[in-house]
Amino acid sequence: MSDDLILFHNVSKFYGDVLGVNKVDLRIPPGITSLVGPNGSGKTTLMNLMTGLVHPGNGTISVRGVSPFAPEKLMRILGYATQYDAAPRGVTGFGFVLAGLLLHGYPRAEAERRAALAIETVALTHASSRKIAAYSKGMRQRIRLAQAIAHEPEVLVLDEPLNGLDPLVRAETIALFRDYAARGRHVILSSHVLQEVDVFSDQVILIANGMIVAEGEIRNVRDEINEHPSQFLLHCQEPSRVAALLFEQAEVLAVKIDPEGRGVLVTTRHRDAFAAAVQRIALSGIEIDGVLPMDENVDALYEYLIGGGK
Amino acid sequence: MNQIWIIAKLEIRRAFFSRRALWVYLLALFPAVLFFGHGISVQYRRSEYAGKPVTPAAILDRLPVGTPDTEALATAGQPISDRKWRRRDINRRSMQYFDGSNRVWLEFENGALKSTTRRALNSFEEDSKVYAGVFQFFYLRLAIFFGCLGIFINLFRGEMIDKSLHYWFLAPVRREILLLGKYCAGLIASAVIFGGGALLSFGALLSYQSSADLQNYLQTDALYHGTWYVLSAMLGCVGYGSVFLAAGLLLRNPIIPALVMLLWESINGFLPELLQKFSVLHYLQSICPVAPPLDPNVPPLLRLILAPAAPTSTWAAILGLLALTALVLYAASRTVRRLEINYGTE
Repeated sequence: MSDDLILFHNVSKFYGDVLGVNKVDLRIPPGITSLVGPNGSGKTTLMNLMTGLVHPGNGTISVRGVSPFAPEKLMRILGYATQYDAAPRGVTGFGFVLAGLLLHGYPRAEAERRAALAIETVALTHASSRKIAAYSKGMRQRIRLAQAIAHEPEVLVLDEPLNGLDPLVRAETIALFRDYAARGRHVILSSHVLQEVDVFSDQVILIANGMIVAEGEIRNVRDEINEHPSQFLLHCQEPSRVAALLFEQAEVLAVKIDPEGRGVLVTTRHRDAFAAAVQRIALSGIEIDGVLPMDENVDALYEYLIGGGK
Repeated sequence: MNQIWIIAKLEIRRAFFSRRALWVYLLALFPAVLFFGHGISVQYRRSEYAGKPVTPAAILDRLPVGTPDTEALATAGQPISDRKWRRRDINRRSMQYFDGSNRVWLEFENGALKSTTRRALNSFEEDSKVYAGVFQFFYLRLAIFFGCLGIFINLFRGEMIDKSLHYWFLAPVRREILLLGKYCAGLIASAVIFGGGALLSFGALLSYQSSADLQNYLQTDALYHGTWYVLSAMLGCVGYGSVFLAAGLLLRNPIIPALVMLLWESINGFLPELLQKFSVLHYLQSICPVAPPLDPNVPPLLRLILAPAAPTSTWAAILGLLALTALVLYAASRTVRRLEINYGTE
């Protein structure tokens, strides 16, 4: 079973006196997992730990059964597009991807075929013969992605992969992640643009100050944090009347009329009891058009968990 | 082995053509330029003296000290040049002759022959000793030393500065293999540059010798000397390369290891015999085919620094150097395994 998981067991990493991550325990199943946290929270450290670029001070890490201390094995199943914007001097996009494949031991012809395919996947074929130094930031981002996917890894680790991409390429890149995840592979990515990851992530890991604040599916994470209130929007034709009825419910913390006129905004700690109350109101003859969770996205969770420290 | 070769091939172009290593070529070519230049001046002197009257050496040798200048003139004939001057109440005269291969000066004081000075247009024996001196005191101690510093320290440190080392660490390659691949790239580049530089300068040394000297040398020691000069240059790259590769892994500032190493190599002669074995130069000096001349007027302290500490046999020196290199590379491989990517602190 652990051969399908990325496991962190009690992992700590300090850079001298500076905390990287502290006592991290993680079980990451296949699929798209987003690491979310503010700058300096430890996202990149987690990625560097799982790829062996830095070593833990304490604890153990296993990536699909392989230790990061064995790069000769790990890098055959893992591709990592780092946030480091530099590329080797004087190299073309094609040469850059090709070099990585040659190090994997592919025969030259096969390496060239794979390099061309990977570059085509990230829509950079037209610029593949140009030197990377002349690429735009977005192009450099894409060529790093091409190198990371060129050997079809089981685990794709991407540090801020959507930075600098135009909307079309961004959509294609997300489609690529989904395709990878659909084939039972790991896609681990980080972002501090919170809205962009909750759309396509299967799991989310919230990290702040080197500590894992929450992990799991977005909905499950939300459920775990029941000490924090949830907010819902009730679409209805008679918001004042609905608001008055909701005020009488013990499980409702706050009610206010939506300033945009869509209905009533309700804050509650008990989702099930609130759902029952809404059902009772609807059965009493008041028309409820719909109930929309307003904070079931990473942004909201993040706000709750770490005090809005975006 | 295959992975080592792939890494070396990927890296070698940068080792040869790095902008940072431009001065390495200047260092490597300096002795060749020096001896080619000297060769040109020798050729010029030869052509200058080709039209001068020749006085047989036997005639000049017959003139004993005390011979009057008038008698010398009568015996040897008109000199090429004749200078007279007075200094400290002594009338001085210098008559220059040419015996076909040497310039000969007859020095007179108050009309009597005081001394005879001979200087060959070119002396192969002298040139080969000068070459040995340039090779040991400049080429091995400075050119190869600093050249290897420029090439090898950049293999890892340069990538850290460029923030591109992680690409290597993300390849499915053991770190030790990566280290060896990069070392091979640096070694090939430095051995070609400095081995080639040694060969070129040796060729320059031979290029202007008289055909008799050249024939004689080619039939005796030329191949042996040339081979060992090139080999010792290459072995210098082997030894210094490993040290600076390791230094590039451990230290940010290349000046520090360079100075420490230079100091260590310089004081090697003062160290106990066991410590002398931890010096690259100690072995290289034993491999060089010709001992460099040391002027008797060299101060004792400098003489100690320049003189070989405790020469060993050639093969023992080669084995010792290779063992030292292996030891340094082993230590470097331990370091590279623990090396982390942390560009923020670079």
